[in-house]
Amino acid sequence: MAENTNKDADSKLIGLLGQFDDPESLVAACSQAREAGYKKMDAYSPFPVHGIDPAIGIKRTVLPLIVLGAALSAVVVGLGLQIYTNSSALDALAPFPGYPFKISGKPIFSIPANIPVTFEIIVLTSAITTFLGMWILNRLPMFANPLHRISRFKRVTNDKFFLCLEAKDEKFNRSASEDQLNKWGAVAIEEVRQDLTDNDLPKWIPTAAILGAICLLLPPAAIFSQWGQTNRHPRLHVVPDMDWQHKSKTQTMAVNLANGMDEVELMYADLRSARRPVDGAIAFGSLDTDSELNYGIKQDFAHTISSRKNMRASLSEDQEKPEVDAAAPAGEPTENMEQWVTTFPEGVEVTEDLLTRGQQRFNIYCAACHGYAGQGDGLVNQKALALAANGDATWTAARSLHDADVKGDAKNPVGRIYDTITNGRGNMGPYRAQIPVDDRWAIVAYVRALQETGLKSPSANTAGAGEAVADEAAGEEKAE
Amino acid sequence: MATTVDPHGLDNTYDDASKRTPLVLGGLDYQGVTETACGFWEAEKAPKIWWILLLMAMSLLGILGGLVNHLLMSGVGVWGNNNPAYWGWPIVNFVFWVGIGHAGTLISAILFLFRQNWRTSINRAAEAMTIFAVVCAGMFPGIHIGRVWVFYWLFPIPTEHLAMWPNFRSPLLWDVFAVSTYATVSLLFWYMGMVPDIATFRDRTKSRVGKFIYGLLSLGWTGSARNWHRYEIAYTLLAALATPLVLSVHTIVSFDFAVSQLPGWHTTIFPPYFVAGAIFSGFAMVVTLLVPARALFGLEKLITMRHLENMNKIIMATGLMVGTAYGIEFFIAWYSGVQVESYAFWNRAFGNYSWAYWIMISCNVVIPQLFWFKWCRTTTWFMVIVCIFVNIGMWFERFVITITSLCRDFLPSSWAYFTPTWVDIGMLVCSFGLFSTLFLLFCRFLPVIAMAEVKGIMPRDGHH
Amino acid sequence: MHETRPAKITSPVVSLGNGYVRTIPVAAIVAAVGIVVAILFSRGPGARFMHAYLMNYAFLLSICLGCLFFVTIMHLTRAGWSVTLRRIAELYAMCVIPMGLLFLPILVTVLSGSDILYPWVDGGWSMGDSASVAQTASFVNSLPIDERPPFEQLKHGYLNPGFFAVRWVAYFLIWGGMASFFLFTSLKQDKTGEGKLTHRMQAFAAPAMIVFAASLVFSSFDLEMSLEPFWFSTMYPVYFFAGAVLSAWATITLTALWFQRTGRVTDEITTEHYHDMGKMMFGFIVFWGYIAFSQFLLIWYANIPEETFWYNWRINYPGWKTLSYVLLIGHLFIPFLAMMGRTVRRNRNFMFGATVYLLVMHWLDHFWLVMPHYNQFVGGGIEGRGWSTFNPIADLACAVGMIALFIAIFCVICRDRPLVALQDPRLGEALNHEVH
Repeated sequence: MAENTNKDADSKLIGLLGQFDDPESLVAACSQAREAGYKKMDAYSPFPVHGIDPAIGIKRTVLPLIVLGAALSAVVVGLGLQIYTNSSALDALAPFPGYPFKISGKPIFSIPANIPVTFEIIVLTSAITTFLGMWILNRLPMFANPLHRISRFKRVTNDKFFLCLEAKDEKFNRSASEDQLNKWGAVAIEEVRQDLTDNDLPKWIPTAAILGAICLLLPPAAIFSQWGQTNRHPRLHVVPDMDWQHKSKTQTMAVNLANGMDEVELMYADLRSARRPVDGAIAFGSLDTDSELNYGIKQDFAHTISSRKNMRASLSEDQEKPEVDAAAPAGEPTENMEQWVTTFPEGVEVTEDLLTRGQQRFNIYCAACHGYAGQGDGLVNQKALALAANGDATWTAARSLHDADVKGDAKNPVGRIYDTITNGRGNMGPYRAQIPVDDRWAIVAYVRALQETGLKSPSANTAGAGEAVADEAAGEEKAE
Repeated sequence: MATTVDPHGLDNTYDDASKRTPLVLGGLDYQGVTETACGFWEAEKAPKIWWILLLMAMSLLGILGGLVNHLLMSGVGVWGNNNPAYWGWPIVNFVFWVGIGHAGTLISAILFLFRQNWRTSINRAAEAMTIFAVVCAGMFPGIHIGRVWVFYWLFPIPTEHLAMWPNFRSPLLWDVFAVSTYATVSLLFWYMGMVPDIATFRDRTKSRVGKFIYGLLSLGWTGSARNWHRYEIAYTLLAALATPLVLSVHTIVSFDFAVSQLPGWHTTIFPPYFVAGAIFSGFAMVVTLLVPARALFGLEKLITMRHLENMNKIIMATGLMVGTAYGIEFFIAWYSGVQVESYAFWNRAFGNYSWAYWIMISCNVVIPQLFWFKWCRTTTWFMVIVCIFVNIGMWFERFVITITSLCRDFLPSSWAYFTPTWVDIGMLVCSFGLFSTLFLLFCRFLPVIAMAEVKGIMPRDGHH
Repeated sequence: MHETRPAKITSPVVSLGNGYVRTIPVAAIVAAVGIVVAILFSRGPGARFMHAYLMNYAFLLSICLGCLFFVTIMHLTRAGWSVTLRRIAELYAMCVIPMGLLFLPILVTVLSGSDILYPWVDGGWSMGDSASVAQTASFVNSLPIDERPPFEQLKHGYLNPGFFAVRWVAYFLIWGGMASFFLFTSLKQDKTGEGKLTHRMQAFAAPAMIVFAASLVFSSFDLEMSLEPFWFSTMYPVYFFAGAVLSAWATITLTALWFQRTGRVTDEITTEHYHDMGKMMFGFIVFWGYIAFSQFLLIWYANIPEETFWYNWRINYPGWKTLSYVLLIGHLFIPFLAMMGRTVRRNRNFMFGATVYLLVMHWLDHFWLVMPHYNQFVGGGIEGRGWSTFNPIADLACAVGMIALFIAIFCVICRDRPLVALQDPRLGEALNHEVH
């Protein structure tokens, strides 16, 4: 027997524990005990014994009802959560705005789309209620149970069955009950005694508990002490997550973060976000030493280039391209016709491939205004002129490349055509950003070819292409 | 005493309509069941093979940790996901692992509701498998979000930082709820089922540490009839909740695909078809795990051939369901007359991913048909091979669905061929390390067999 | 412990006996009157009557198929508890053979080239709304197949009267074969009590289930889904199946209650069985809701016009909208809450009411599936005349007539056959079945 049965003063009799070897005799014993009038008793078994509930008089638990209640309230919570978070109508009540975005054409509050989450919330709530409810109703966890002190009782989780008649029961009588248990077939009987000697809480526990509670209160107290205070320091970010970077944002000054966030200072005193390049610095790939190739200007005149380079930079962003220089605006410096190269520079070989390429590029970049055959009848041009005629737009007509004052080496040597493409002319904008150098020369070659063949698109070998059908012909050619 | 005399030795796969075949063999009584089930746990030293397996599993786990770290440091670009296949292997792996988890819940909940008593010997291990599989599954979308430290944005938690709520109309958000609910409920179910068995460990352990830990975990369980009463009701309730839950989880996973308008994804059969596929792969995984486990831990008398055979039959049945769904999809793709839909399916079978498609068909539909033969479903080494094929096939099913549809964008200029990176492959392989580590530890330190439940279904001859 | 009942049939009456002699004439008369009234009130056996007929036919066929599924699945899972209920399911399953004869009106309509039921019988169905169909149909119909609109060309490969007839012959051969195998083997066991017959049925059940599944998939496409040849949903067979199984479970329970109230098989079917049937019905209510919702959600969410028009008709127009809500609440929520409790499932009066209620809901479900088609194509368009085409007397008379006919058929099939398996080796298990 266990060590706790020595003195009545030190321990209290809780009940009598009878051991049975199989579930059937346990159920039988329970039935007999119930018939004998016992009310406060419990049976213990390694697994749920079938038929023991009526034998011992266990009423059906209310757990399912509790779970049903939890489930029904979860319906409200689940739907409410989604209405609340997805609606903007409740903004006044909400600490954060809702999510009032139309997504895939669904209404802000879409019941079908909210069913899955509602369902999961119902299941989660019900499952947790079931789990916790069961343990609470069973008064578990309870680690201090006198039964655990009986070594024989350890087999209750293995292969033995026990019936405990509790001392609280009116019918309970130490010896009579033992006789009864014997009669009902108990193979062994033991007293269950509660040890009273260590009933008192050890003294250190309340002290430790109070200290612990105080310690736990410190963080919330610290937070609360800051309530309503202003603080110039930014929030604490555990993971900075690229929230602050050395960079310039439009409309803001670039902030230097090198010294942390304590003192806000600018990255550079002149308010810029980056330093200007040192004089004479040239970007990778921009070392344009060959003025003939890159600017269409003879080597002898190369020194004039730097002043021309950004000539068009201050022009408006008007991307529609009017013309290949009509009468030059008065303010523009007089043009030195000598400077333009008159032959294709070294490195540009006029071949059929180049012309094909030039035609293709021309049809992409130039034909919109100048037309596929260079007649100045591109679709943009036509439309713009129509609008201009109604007074809906202002527009300078695109020039025909076949005009007498456009055509020819005297008016437009290849270098000048190249320059026109590169920097624009008149109201035509510059195309240097869109078209690489080689392609510009290819276009120049193609333009010359167009001009040489009159109104015909040079590769449009179909008869009668010189007329208005030239556009279409060129278009078809391109499609092929 | 309650004993079972089995005239057939350890073979209980014979059929006798007049009498139920015993589910506990070798004449075990209650004590015998306890000792058999606790045998491996009570062994002073774990066998070498366990250590070797654990070492291997933990090595893979270590590599997985490195890979995850590499991913978090470098960004999701280390995966092969790229235009147009933005959902690559991580989603495939996620669906694969979630699917595996489903068999555990099916065994513990659905078979419980249908009173299939044979579930008792295998349900604990299967439930554990569920949890570990969900851990593996949850990892993939978890790290897929890129900035894992703000994972809480997925939940409707008011954060000042985001100043916004999640979008409840998005199936991906449904997934967050479904998978986290599933993980929680599975854990509760698993733990609750284990408490009486942990109490057995508490009462049997000799070490002080064990007494403390198992004592704490068993919550002071006494096996009182009143406790059992509420416990059983709660168990039934949890089973009744877990059943629709398990359906909903893979259904919602299928919604991720099926609510879209992508050909090959948008088809209404997806929810039940995904669920059937999940159960299919999950059972294959249970068999793959339990065949070696029962040999290693000496559980042949509890996890009998009959159990394995029944699982193999379920594998065959669910395999046929999946096969039927493939067939319906194909038929409707043609019948719908929608060009892109027909093309998507033609492309699966005969396009540049046809190799994956035919691996899927042969592993999922053809190979399980071997289980029509009794020899195939009662020979342990053979069934493991078949089950491994099934799992390969089910991985490829998700691969085929995800990748083939994405790689055939509506815009043919975006068509591409998906290539995984070494990180993709490494993560898939190493996720098995995470899974195996957890499972091996579980086998050594927690009750592998639901002893209380097994005892509850043992026939009690001579007492009627 | 509890007493164990010996595995013996103890009920004094285990067959319909003379009951069917009284029932059959009454049922037959009601059937005749109902169908005649339906024809009269639908103004001739035209589209109205044929739709009502099809709808009721689908309702009854789904019950038979559900019962066939019950028998097969119980053998497949070697179930013991359901042995005493299985015969009822076997007898209902056997009704598929006379149901094959009742399919003839539908088949004849299709074979005669009339599109009053299935638009795909004639050309021109893909030509747009109902008004223009009438004008273009005759023109399109005169075209050879390979000159018709592309959809019609494509689907003609499957949806054509000849192949339709071949398929239905095949379905009825499969179902009739399965049903008669199970019934006659089981009846043989009643006499001999051989255990090996059970094994034979179990062995048969596995391959039979595969063929059954395939036939169910395609028959559900053919019977109701092809009413709208444009529309397609891979979930449709599962939806049909969920309703079929639920109504079959309800029918089996209802029949068992009827038998027991009339003093037959009083001892073999216990409260435990009702409890279990109630549980499974509860499960299938949820399953039906799950399938119905999933199908709806996927189509609603993706919002592709080829699919949404089907739901649009049913949920956006007066009358049909109400019916959709009635189904949602009446087919899912009400039974879900009502059948949740254990006490109610063990109450026979409650189960009686619940099964009748579920069958009514299942009937409405089929009404909802079939009738909007009539409304759209024949009844003047849903947008136009809408719900006003509802013809309660014709529809209900047809339902009463068909159901009475079905009852008569069931009684003929029962005759003096035992209403419970007499010598099944697992009888003891069923008799001692206990829900815990």
